[in-house]
Amino acid sequence: MREILRMVNISKHFPGVKALDRVTFSVDRGEVHALVGENGAGKSTLMKILAGALQPDEGEIFLEGEKVSIPNPQSAWAKGISIIYQELNLLPDLNVVQNIFLGREPRGRLGTLDYSAMVKEAESLLERVGIRVPLQALVKNLSVAEQQQVEIAKALSLNAKLLVMDEPTASLSETEVERLFAIIRDLKGRGVTVIYISHRLDEVFRIADRVTVLKDGKCVGTYSIEELDREKLVRLMVGRSFSETFPPKAQETGPVLLEVRNLTVPGVLKNVTFHVRAGEIVGFFGLVGSGRTDLAKTLFGLYPHYSGEILVKGKRVNVTSPRKAVAEGIGFVPEDRKSEGLCLGLSVKDNCLMAVLDDIRSLMFLDRQREAAIVQKFVADLRIKTPHLSQKVRNLSGGNQQKVVLAKWLATQPDFLVFDEPTRGIDVGAKAEIYHFMRDLARQGKGILMISSELPEILGMSDRIYVMHEGAIVKEFGQGEPVDEERVMYFAAGLHVGR
Amino acid sequence: MKGFSRIYRNNPALFFVYVILFAFFVFAAFASPQFRTVYNVFNLLRQAVAFGIVGIGQTVAILSGGIDLSVGSLISLVACLTSGIMIGNPTLVIPIVLFVLGVGILVGLTNGMLVAYLRVPPFIATLAMSAILQGSVLLYTKKPVGGVTRGFMFFANGQLGPVPFAFVFWVGLLALFLFLLRKTGLGLHIYAVGGNEEIARLSGIPIRRVKLAVYTLSGFLAALTGVFLASRLGIGDPLVGQGFELESITAVLIGGTSLAGGRGGIEGTIAGVLIIALINNILNLLNVSGFWQWVVKGIVVIGVVAAYKEKE
Repeated sequence: MREILRMVNISKHFPGVKALDRVTFSVDRGEVHALVGENGAGKSTLMKILAGALQPDEGEIFLEGEKVSIPNPQSAWAKGISIIYQELNLLPDLNVVQNIFLGREPRGRLGTLDYSAMVKEAESLLERVGIRVPLQALVKNLSVAEQQQVEIAKALSLNAKLLVMDEPTASLSETEVERLFAIIRDLKGRGVTVIYISHRLDEVFRIADRVTVLKDGKCVGTYSIEELDREKLVRLMVGRSFSETFPPKAQETGPVLLEVRNLTVPGVLKNVTFHVRAGEIVGFFGLVGSGRTDLAKTLFGLYPHYSGEILVKGKRVNVTSPRKAVAEGIGFVPEDRKSEGLCLGLSVKDNCLMAVLDDIRSLMFLDRQREAAIVQKFVADLRIKTPHLSQKVRNLSGGNQQKVVLAKWLATQPDFLVFDEPTRGIDVGAKAEIYHFMRDLARQGKGILMISSELPEILGMSDRIYVMHEGAIVKEFGQGEPVDEERVMYFAAGLHVGR
Repeated sequence: MKGFSRIYRNNPALFFVYVILFAFFVFAAFASPQFRTVYNVFNLLRQAVAFGIVGIGQTVAILSGGIDLSVGSLISLVACLTSGIMIGNPTLVIPIVLFVLGVGILVGLTNGMLVAYLRVPPFIATLAMSAILQGSVLLYTKKPVGGVTRGFMFFANGQLGPVPFAFVFWVGLLALFLFLLRKTGLGLHIYAVGGNEEIARLSGIPIRRVKLAVYTLSGFLAALTGVFLASRLGIGDPLVGQGFELESITAVLIGGTSLAGGRGGIEGTIAGVLIIALINNILNLLNVSGFWQWVVKGIVVIGVVAAYKEKE
């Protein structure tokens, strides 16, 4: 029998949202099956149901032709189903061995842990995945890629027949992605079926045999990879064509808005010199560890002990705290909106006003009416989908959360905005919207510095590109200068030095 | 020296707190000749036992990501029940001890159910429990009550040669709970639940049972402390447990256990308990007012916890 899994007419409601609406999903044995869709399409919900972390309102699950119920995670493991979540499910303060066997440790007599048995099995598992990490190392001291490999080892220790990976490459470097793909191919060779959730469509084309598209909680269809191309897949996901994604680039640019000279932070940044003009989107590309995010944080006052000069509109400024940065008209849309951009438990309104509370209060009291008017305007302008202004941002989709972060900074009326990974983890539709907002802001004369690890985004959005490597700018691609992914990567990887 | 550096690398916080303990000890030894007597050191250890026992339970509660504020009132309740029912009758000693330990377990179970099943935040559940228990004790008696037998007093005041029996008992208890936390599945699961409850849940750990166990253990250990104090004082004082909840939390924090849960352990709490006992003891010997002890303990907690944060 080819089919290993069949989920039939699965529905799931959350308060106010129909996350899944009679979704039917079938996976063949030994394939890599990609599950794609915009954020909020229901991919993660469907997989959590498969993993026993959520219960469906209705629908049936058949595993190898037999009807099963999966009331909890243990039951999923017993059936050979393992899931590796996007936010890795490891405990940072426990070591590798403890994490691999968490919840099902081999016991000796008297219920004590059989540590030597654990170590022995962990060694052989890690061998199979092909990684060398010290078994006693605390997980918090491992890299993200290593942590992920520990998770894969954990899944193998459960004799997983069906392995679900939710956005596994979200925070991996290029080489780590290659390593992961090699592991996936190896698993496939051993007859393990892999369900692969990703936003990165190029990865889907490289690794998947078949693709299932979800949209708004419904199943659009399942396709073999040969019958798809990028354009078609995007169209299936969002109902519009991919070429529309990037808005046209700047026609002309204004005077220099931000100038940075010899910016150095010991151990992080080396003599960084660049400038951003009004009306211009400047892209910064670099691999993990290149210092691109540190640069953004320095500009926003998070590394107060920098040396070198930062000039805003020709005037030398000291940005030694975020407060000073905001006062100089700098806004920062950070990489991780959930931990650095938003207070998840507060409302859309409170988050939007977070950075301007000083300006809108009269004496000591907050002017509630004025607040609502300001926020209402942003919600309309940015097309933030929220039932009302007091909705907690936790309950919004990733794309709408990102728009709230953007609104928060627009409220400060900045001249200069730093975007760090502006579209990480958000769906294609919201991506295109964010791109257009960024271009609109540039057209209004703001300067924009965009950091991204996605090359298509860098190439599609930037008027000029700086490439960073080991804390320094190693290459500038000027306006109109010919540039392609390979050339950017050549410098980012440091291949221009030596030989 | 190589051994030291390895200990430091594996657990800098733990290393740090023992350095502080040693520093306090050296200071005390220089500052007061009385301190240096064997008698005084054992006396200090005897005094450490009460906080030491309840501190074990508090460590377990905090490691699981919770807290137990009901231990102080529970100690008072148990001390009063023990001495109030015993009234000097030797035949009642064993049944009473079993009974009051049962009371502690029951209170702990109730806390655990409130936290695990009704999802009342631990701070609130145990704070409310503390009020209920303290009220009950004061309804039962407003003055110190009853009396214990001479034999029962051996538990807290007896000697094995020069060594206080209570200290030996505490060491045994420490060994038992070190084993529980480091070598058993329950111990690992307590760390896991405190580290990240959702991950623990998704790993198939029965988090509700773990929490139930945690508060039951804490209740049991608080009751044991109440029995100990009844034995030490010979009488049940309805306010004897006052302040034990905060003092035990202080010891746990000085010992480097994270209030957020999942990090730390009894190894550190031992040092925390001894540091507090040392401060109390040396300031007593130097005739410093008891109120200064509070001030010094407050400063030590702030200093130590700030230093931990710095190291992170």
